[in-house]
This record gives sequence, C-alpha cells and structure tokens, in this order.
Amino acid sequence: MELNSIKDAFDRVTKKQKVSSSKSQEAIEQISQEIDLALSRIQSATPQPDHNVILSELKAKLKEMAPLGQLEGPQKELNLALSKYTKLLEKQFNPDISKSYRNVDFDFHTVNQIIASHLYRENMFDIGDCFVNEARVDAVVDKKTHFLEMYRILESMKSRDLGPALKWAAVNHDKLQQNGSDIELKLHRLQFVEILQHGSRDEALKYIRTYIAPFANQHFPEIQKLMACILWAGKLESSPYTDLLSPAHWVKLAHELAQQFCNLVGESIQSPLSVTVAAGDQGLPTLLKLMNVMAGKKQEWQCMKQLPVPVDLDQDFQFHSIFVCPVSREQASEDNPPMLMSCGHVLCKQSITKLSKNNSTRPFKCPYCPTEVQVGQCRKLCF
Amino acid sequence: MDPLPNGNNVAAAAAPPSSSSSKLTESLKLEHQLLRVPFEHYKKTIRANHRLVEKEVSAVISALPHSADHDDAIHHLNSLVSRLQGLKRKLEDGSRAERLQAQRCRARLDHLESADGDNISEWNNTRLKRILVDYMLRMSYYDTATKLAESSNIQDLVDIDIFYEAKKVIDALHNKEVAPALAWCADNKSRLKKFKSKFEFQLRLQEFIELVRNENNVQAVIYARKYLAPWAATYMKEFQKVFATLAFTSNTGCEIYKVLFEPKQWDYLMDQFKQEFCRLYGMTLEPLLNIYLQAGLSALKTPFCYEDDCTKEDPLSQESFRKLAMPLPFSKQHHSKLVCYITKELMDTENPPLVLPNGYVYSTKALEEMATNNNGKITCPRTGLVCNYTEVTKAFIS
Ligand SMILES: [Zn+2]
Ligand SMILES: [Zn+2]
Repeated sequence: MELNSIKDAFDRVTKKQKVSSSKSQEAIEQISQEIDLALSRIQSATPQPDHNVILSELKAKLKEMAPLGQLEGPQKELNLALSKYTKLLEKQFNPDISKSYRNVDFDFHTVNQIIASHLYRENMFDIGDCFVNEARVDAVVDKKTHFLEMYRILESMKSRDLGPALKWAAVNHDKLQQNGSDIELKLHRLQFVEILQHGSRDEALKYIRTYIAPFANQHFPEIQKLMACILWAGKLESSPYTDLLSPAHWVKLAHELAQQFCNLVGESIQSPLSVTVAAGDQGLPTLLKLMNVMAGKKQEWQCMKQLPVPVDLDQDFQFHSIFVCPVSREQASEDNPPMLMSCGHVLCKQSITKLSKNNSTRPFKCPYCPTEVQVGQCRKLCF
Repeated sequence: MDPLPNGNNVAAAAAPPSSSSSKLTESLKLEHQLLRVPFEHYKKTIRANHRLVEKEVSAVISALPHSADHDDAIHHLNSLVSRLQGLKRKLEDGSRAERLQAQRCRARLDHLESADGDNISEWNNTRLKRILVDYMLRMSYYDTATKLAESSNIQDLVDIDIFYEAKKVIDALHNKEVAPALAWCADNKSRLKKFKSKFEFQLRLQEFIELVRNENNVQAVIYARKYLAPWAATYMKEFQKVFATLAFTSNTGCEIYKVLFEPKQWDYLMDQFKQEFCRLYGMTLEPLLNIYLQAGLSALKTPFCYEDDCTKEDPLSQESFRKLAMPLPFSKQHHSKLVCYITKELMDTENPPLVLPNGYVYSTKALEEMATNNNGKITCPRTGLVCNYTEVTKAFIS
C-alpha cells in the first residue's frame, strides 16, 4: 500500500483548503474595508458629500470586485483535491469490508457477554463494570471473580510479594500436581531466593525444610542446588547461582501462573475475543476477494454450508487436526476417517473403498507408491 | 498491570518477513473506515464554512441600499460592518474545527504507518479496542465507549464526537420526536439525495401517522399536502397506503394498516437513521466487530469444534461463540493440517507424524522426548496404552 502517496494527497487537500480559506478571509476583509471607507466618507463633516453617490459607488466597487467570483477558483481546486483523496482511499483500501457479512441474526446479547468477559479478562474492571451496566449484561459474574483474583495475585507479584501466589498454589496443590505443574515449587524457590538475599541463613534453611523438602521425591537435583545456595546467603550475586537472581524469573513465573490459573478455572489462556478478531483480520482479505468473484451471487453466499476456498490462518489458530484425503480432496470425518495403508501412506476410507472396487479381499496399488495394499490391513488413524 | 501477553506476536515473529509484511498490508487495507470517517467530517466542516461565507457575503452585498437618507445610510452600513465581523468570528471557529479535523485525519494516517513487525501485537491490541469502541458507539453505549477510548488514549482513532451528533437524533426518535432528525436531513440534503435516501419521507410519514392517531384529521390533510405530496411521485405506493390510514384510523383491525400505528415503527426509524448516518460518513453498515467476528468464526469453524475434546484455546469451544457461529459456514482446507495432540505443533516433513499400534498419531518430537525420558516407553495420553518406541510407524501425509 502506498501510504506515502495517500499522505501526499492529504497534504494537497490541506494546502488547497488553506488557500481557499485565506481567499475567503481576504474577500471579507476587502468588503469590510470598502464599507469602512464609504462610512468614513459619508460621515466626514466637510464638505457634506452626497451619501447616495457614495452608496452607489460602493455598490459599483463591490460589483467590480466580485468577491464570490474570487472564491470560485480556489474552491474548485479544493473540491478536486477532496474528491481525489476520496477516490484514492477507495482504490488503496477495501472500501466496504462488510461485503462478506452474512445477514443473519447475530445476537447482540451474546456479543455483549463476550465483550464483558473480555474486558474483565484484560484487567479492565472499571470499564467492564461500566459496560455491564450500560449494556445490561448478565451472567459474567463468575468470570469477573476469577479474573479479579488472578490480577490481585499478579499485582502482588509485581511488587515482589509472593504471599497471595503461594496461598493460591497451596490451596490448589492437588489439582496442580494432577496437571503435572511444578509451579508451586517454582514459587517457593523464588521466595527462598528472596530470603537468601534479605534474610538470615537460618531462615533460609528453615524455609527449605518446611516448604521445599516435600517436593524432594520429584525434584531432588533442584533441591540439592538450592541447598548449596545457602552457602552464599546474602551474596548470591557472586555465587555460581547468580542466574537465580534474574528478574526474568518473576516475569516468566507470572506468565506461567496466569496460564495455570486460567487452566484451573476452565478459562482459555488467551481472550477468545482477541483470538477470533485476529482470525477475522487474517481471514477477511480472502473472504473479500471471494466476494468479488461471487459478486451477484449474494443469495448463494448466504446459504453456503462451507467456505468454497481455504482461509489461511497462522499456526496459532490451528486448534484441530484436519486431514484432507489426497485422492478425493475431502476432509476426513467420523464417517470417513483417515486410514493408514501398509506402505505408510494415508487416504480416507471412502477413497480406499473406491480403489479396492468395494472388494475387501482384492489387493490394490497405492496411488503414491508401488505397494500392493490389502483393505484388511488398513488401520484407522486418530490425529 | 498488563493483560495476558498475546501469543500472536510469537507467530508474527516466527513467520518469514515477506509473508508477514504482505499479511500486514492486507490487514491495513481493511482500514478504509478509519481514514474515511474523519475525512468526511473534515469535508463537511469545509463545506459548511464555505457555504457560510457565500451566504453572508452575498447577503451583505444585496443588502446595500440604493438610496437612503443620511442617517439611515450610516446605520445600515454599520450594521453590515458588524455582520461581517460576526462572519469573521464564525469563520475563526470554523477554521479551528477544520484544523482539528485535519489533525485527526493525519493522526490516523500516522497510526497506520506505525504498524510494523516489531509492535504488531500492541497494534493489534489497539485495533481490537478501536473495534470495540466502534461497536459500543453504534449500540449507543456512549459512556463505556468514552471510558475505553480515554483509558487507552485512542481518542483520535475513534469517532466519539461524530456519534454524539447521531445521539441527539436517536434520543429524540426514542422520545418520538422527529424535529432533530428532520433538521439532520436538511443539513445533509444534497448527500442524502445522492444516495436516493428515503429517510426524510419515512419521517414525514410517521409524523402524518401521529396526526391521524390523534385524530387531527384536518391538520393531517394539510400536512400531507405540504410534506408528503412532493414525494408522492417517487414513492406512490407507500404514499397511498399511508394516506389511506385517514380512512381507517388508529384502531383499525386491518393488519396492513395496524402495523403502521405500532410503536416499533419508531424503532424502525431509529435503525433507518443509523444506516443513513453510517452511509453518509462512509462507515460500514454493520459494526466492525460483527464483521471481524463473522470472518474469524468462519475461518475457525470446523466440525471438530463441536466435539467434547475441543481445546479450551479454541474460541469455538465456548457456548457463546458456538451460538454466534451457528449460521456461518465451516472453514475449508485444501491440504491436511495436522497438529500434534501433545505439543500442539504442526506435524509436517520436519516433524513427521508417528502412529502408535492403536492408531493414535503424535509428532516425532513429542514421542522422541517421551521415549528418552521413559526408557523407550510410550504412553498414549488419550487411551493410556503403553508401548515401545520401536513399535511406532511413520505415516506419510501428502
Ligand atoms: Zn503407498
Ligand atoms: Zn474447535
């Protein structure tokens, strides 16, 4: 896109606008001057002039000046610049991105609920409350409570207070273990390092015994390392373990905590609204191109069950494995699953049935290699 | 405290530069409204200022007396002088508005220019906020819209002031008053005419209906003659139908006429106004949010989204998103895209899929790691089956 040419076109508009408006001012100034002049002539005491003559002279003068005529030229140029800019925008951009919009019932209550949850999840609680009020949204109270707690924990971590985080981890100890998360140990390690830096050696030792030792059977080497750190209490920066002091640990752990927190309360890690809008941003250009091709077939578009073209999204948006049979070009489904042939190539079930001519005992040749394949040896795959 | 980091930046950074920059260009091309709306506003102010000059200057010139007695002439000229001074003052205000609006147009150009690979995740965040403000303004959630814009410092990138112009008309229609709407029509007469807008006619019809409802029959006829008749040629059928209400009155049992007296006609006028308003400013007729959501939902929608094991990270695992996606088409793939259940990474020639004896497929990376950590043993996370790494076979996906 030629942003520079658009900027130039806009500069042209403002330039012409300045010319035009200074022309207006000039014209008004001239008229004022002429009237002032006439006034002072009429009012001049001696000799008493014929004011009607002055009036008609003024009239003639203004007619000769034709102030409105003076404005026409610059105005025309301005109008030209204005319409050029509009046209340029239409050419350089997609002038109507609603072309691919389907006229379906897009329930605004649902959209509002999604927005309210998003605002809370993004730590915009005041705005979220304001929205809930103004748009009369209900049924997002749970989410608000969850995210309030999460951000309270994260705020504390920002000011180097691990208390709320540790408390949360202790309460959810079993679930975290179940999910294979070692975040509780990581939090304790961070706390231990804080004590090593600012507290006494005794305190540090006591902390290890109380809070970290219980993790010994799974994380023995880690705990040995932490024990060794006690030797450098108060001067960890000159120990072999300086990396424990890196502030990056705090940032990383806060992020991990947010993930685990969302996981435990059944929320996705990213805002589903952000994800969908981002996917929409990547998908719209393709859909708009499609609409150009389908121009005049709006009806057909309205009732299509599947997009006629693939929309390429980044890998972040790939939540499911899609198997497309290389022979039939169909997407596999429960009724038509992908099948592994003895050679390692994969086709969907229907294609295999076709290739074997519906004869399950007769071998057929794999379309991709010389192997003779038996239907009975094909195995259903689960991605 | 920042919100959760957005994973998209990871992908943006990983993608090859050429494709990501062309993606960015494609995405910027969707921003027509961002530039168009403030420009229409700017244009409107320019035109209004110019019209004011034309009107006042020609009024002053034609008001010059041919002849008058001495004192009258002085008095007259003095009044013209002060009229011109008034014009100058108004023009100063007008120029200030012009400057402000030009600056807003520029701010948006600068905003588009600022988007690049390094700040794309922040830029996308701002875009979402802009889209949300647009939605809120269109839905008349002015307070939240203003708060969100202010807290994110994006006032120059959203059109709050423009929507406040609409608010006056919408509020009035809400109270069943048409005067502000008619004034708005008069203000934008030439452009509405260009769009062949029916809106003014519809407002007039409603006013007529209200007269009939109150049984002001004489006035209704006078009104119709004055305000409806000029449209009759263009909208004959509707004109006749509405005029016939005079015969039926508001307690008619006849369905065709009954609807004309229903209060929802006012809601319809409000919607109609919003549409005309958006059209006039070069906005999309639907909220940007709905447009982006529909496109995103279609692109994400697969039959697997509706199964129980759909991952939470997929928006379509949520009831609300599923509901919105219901009337939308499924996405389409021309080529297989296989994601490892364990690592969530793509399985391709770099990281080929491996098949367990039970037919479950995982990426090479995932199974290699599992085997290394467990003395060559593999446990299928979905079925619990335990087997040896030597038992897995390669699958070739073309
Ligand atoms: Zn083969
Ligand atoms: Zn899904």
